[in-house]
Amino acid sequence: MSVTELPLFSMLKTRMRWLETRQRLLAENVANAETPGFRGRDLKAPDFTRQLQAATSVQLVATSPGHLAGTTQTDPNFAADRSQPFEVTPRGNSVSLEEEMMRIAQNQTDHQTATALYSRSLGLIKSALGKK
Amino acid sequence: MDFMRSIFIAATGLRAQSGRMRVIAENIANANSTAANSATDPYRRRVPSFATSFDRDLQATVVSMGRIRTDGSDFTVRNEPGHPAADGQGNVKYPNVNTLIETVDMREAQRSYEANLNVITATRRMIARTIEILRA
Repeated sequence: MSVTELPLFSMLKTRMRWLETRQRLLAENVANAETPGFRGRDLKAPDFTRQLQAATSVQLVATSPGHLAGTTQTDPNFAADRSQPFEVTPRGNSVSLEEEMMRIAQNQTDHQTATALYSRSLGLIKSALGKK
Repeated sequence: MDFMRSIFIAATGLRAQSGRMRVIAENIANANSTAANSATDPYRRRVPSFATSFDRDLQATVVSMGRIRTDGSDFTVRNEPGHPAADGQGNVKYPNVNTLIETVDMREAQRSYEANLNVITATRRMIARTIEILRA
């Protein structure tokens, strides 16, 4: 088992991937903030219990060389959702720049948290290895 | 990498807004451009438009400048008998540009441009944070 397959790391990786995808959607919203008829989108929050189950579930072990590697660790696909608009302009655009800026700032903070936790966990492993 | 895509999407927003600024600058610069004689029309205000398209490469909806249309509203008419472009009654047709409207449009374009720049800055910071994991 490599370091990156540890439940904690894979959970953090999923979190970072989620934040990355969300950043893309938010960038789309801001780029189209003036486009008539554009509806803003946001990413649905991941289902925590399901993510936890996926990360800590029992996996099949290949005991013979003839066994195929299982693919139980499915890639989490994130669902985009229409964000609840604050207002819809007469041109049919539902993007509010202030709200988007807030979401981007929040996304940035969350990402910072995830990366900080990741490096902390790496530090834990390093101290377990006995290296300074 | 999704972060690079975010930056590219924001860049399309920057491009669209700077194109809009160009049209606004054109309108303001020509706010007083009358015709050479009474037979021809003076400068007509131009209106930019935006179009959304799905970029297959980026897998995202990006924005681009659509067609630049002309404003069909009436010209402002002023009575200046001595003007070279004056007709028989001494009326001169001035462009249908309202500088106040252009200024408001310009502020809107500026705000949107700054918002897109903000996205790029935030995304860059997130990339830097990710790279910092290596240093831990």
